[in-house]
Amino acid sequence: MRVLTLLATLFLSTAIAQSYLPPLDPNEDITITFYNYNLASAGLGAQGTQRLIDEFMEANPNVTVEGVGVSSDQMISRIQADVVAGRAPDVAQIVFDDLDFLANGLGITPLEELVAPEELAAHYEGFNPRGLELGRLDGSTYGLAYTFSTPVLWINEDLFRAAGLDPDAPPTTWAAVQAAAQTIQDATDAYGVYVSVFGQFDWMFQSLVLSNSGRVLSEDRSELTFDTPEAIGAVQMLRDLRDAGLKPDLGFNEALEAFLTGNLAMYVQTSAVQSYLLSASQGVFELGAAKLPAFGDKPVQPTNSGSALFILTDDPMKQRAAWELMKFATSERGYTIITTEIGYLPLRPAIVRDPAYLGDWVAANPIVEPNLAQLENLSPWVPFPGPNYKQMALLMMAAVEEAVFGDAPVADVMLDAHERASALMPR
Amino acid sequence: MTADTPRRRTRPNVVGHASLLALSLLSVFPIYWMIATSVRPTNELLTSSLVPSALTWEHYRYMWDAIPMDSMLVTTFLMSVAITVTQLLTSLLAAYAFARWSFPGGRILFGLFALTWLVPFQVTMIPNYVLLSNLRWLDTLWALVVPQTASAFAILLLYQSVNAFPRDLLDAARIDGANSWSTLWRVLVPNLRAPLATLAILLFISSWNEYFWPLLVTRDIERSVVQIGLQMFLTSEGNLWGPMMAGATVASLPILVLYIVLQRQVVESFMKSGLR
Repeated sequence: MRVLTLLATLFLSTAIAQSYLPPLDPNEDITITFYNYNLASAGLGAQGTQRLIDEFMEANPNVTVEGVGVSSDQMISRIQADVVAGRAPDVAQIVFDDLDFLANGLGITPLEELVAPEELAAHYEGFNPRGLELGRLDGSTYGLAYTFSTPVLWINEDLFRAAGLDPDAPPTTWAAVQAAAQTIQDATDAYGVYVSVFGQFDWMFQSLVLSNSGRVLSEDRSELTFDTPEAIGAVQMLRDLRDAGLKPDLGFNEALEAFLTGNLAMYVQTSAVQSYLLSASQGVFELGAAKLPAFGDKPVQPTNSGSALFILTDDPMKQRAAWELMKFATSERGYTIITTEIGYLPLRPAIVRDPAYLGDWVAANPIVEPNLAQLENLSPWVPFPGPNYKQMALLMMAAVEEAVFGDAPVADVMLDAHERASALMPR
Repeated sequence: MTADTPRRRTRPNVVGHASLLALSLLSVFPIYWMIATSVRPTNELLTSSLVPSALTWEHYRYMWDAIPMDSMLVTTFLMSVAITVTQLLTSLLAAYAFARWSFPGGRILFGLFALTWLVPFQVTMIPNYVLLSNLRWLDTLWALVVPQTASAFAILLLYQSVNAFPRDLLDAARIDGANSWSTLWRVLVPNLRAPLATLAILLFISSWNEYFWPLLVTRDIERSVVQIGLQMFLTSEGNLWGPMMAGATVASLPILVLYIVLQRQVVESFMKSGLR
């Protein structure tokens, strides 16, 4: 009996070992399609990504990567259309809120089933453990965290000085933000503060709710929880800023333009716009950066915007080529390109001070420090479950906008949206 | 009485001309702003000064380096011409058939054609995409053009004009020995120049501004269209207004040229439509 068990175990482990990805065959040419939303832009993102692809192909001459630009908001519908047409991409850069749909809707294979444990462990060495969590769901890793940014309080240092405030001691709590905004508005013609939380993506809203000790989805992922006092309190803080006349009624682009023309003192926005802000503010005002403010003495828990890389092909050789591309993109060299050329955060902390990688760049760009420091307290951007995940997020975000800019009580708006969104949860 | 008459005539003219001038300026201003933004230095892009402090071509250079504008312009032009020509042809034939002859089920068929106008693009998008994928037409001009060779809008618009055409003239042509085909080309088309020109310009502009369908059926940026190229300057890392406006200026030139060429027919068509 013991021999039989031993044989069965041996057979099973052999079978499992055989199911891992085979190594690349140097005599076989492989072409993989890589959907990438940075390639869909004509800015720094496309240049940096193309360089990443070019360097990878130089190191792997028998692998050809066909980069295809697809915008982030079109990515899932494009992949769905391609799956139906039988021409799905082999690997794709997809934002984190699609994680549940990819895992449970499209049924993609987790990395643990594709890559041998020792190979995975070797690649994960030096990776920020919180970063790895971003692509995980129910204990399996479906995506490898790739481009990545956190919410930053961007500051017009000239306006701080004009109002008698010290830009080197930026506000660390929302109460201090409100006080600073009031002081600046009293002393200058500029608006006080704008929190760029609105829109279809809810990652920054999740940052605020988490930092106020709440959640938008229960830990067991069974119910929406943005009707709790903590979540409503986070929205109320934004409404209070607006009711006090400190937060202008501006849209996403108008707020960005107000900040860049020197008409807005504080601007909470993703760190991904860092390169853009640096170049556009040149000659207009001195740009500063600070960490996301706290709700009183509660710990700040910034979430991330950004994306992970997902393998979508079923062909083992293409899966291997895709995995090699993913490894390169998230290697020390990969993150050096991503951070210096695009402006996203590196998920390998050791390279930040290493002169062989980012050491010199970080020393020359100290403005990135608050962003780097937030990695320590990072919480994953939680994806909603089920096929209606986009609609639920949209309902929630529309309610946040209505609650902040409208006249109805915040709690009423959020509770109503919660009721409607809860009806869309999977049963 | 004679002294009052010219004054009475002049006053409304001044007000009318002033209003028209104001409206013209209002219409032209966005075009001026687009061109002005395309030649402003980067640090002035978000300022509201009417005149740039200095002129720069850096945005045009960046735009041309960042996207394959020349190949995009060629693709967009070919696509727009092909869609315009094929839609004009199919709609002319369909409108002629529906307006000229009564045949069993004609009204129902016309109603069905009209109803297709109400079917949202999103409904047919994926089946069309799958079909083109099976035909291996994706990333080709065929994919951009073939699904758009007929439209209910064009048929309905031309149907009105053909239907309003005097039947006596068509009958006279028949008595003179002209068959249906030569009546169409020798009698009807020469007299429908104005609505055909209007429809052509509307179809061309609509095809020139195509975004979603080309976005779906083209993977290779070199084979894509200008509207996708312009969208590429609106990025999650910040919008590049200078190159975007440079691209928009270049992209609007063909439309401007087309309008100038067909201006007389278009104005004539709109005036006739207004009087009818």
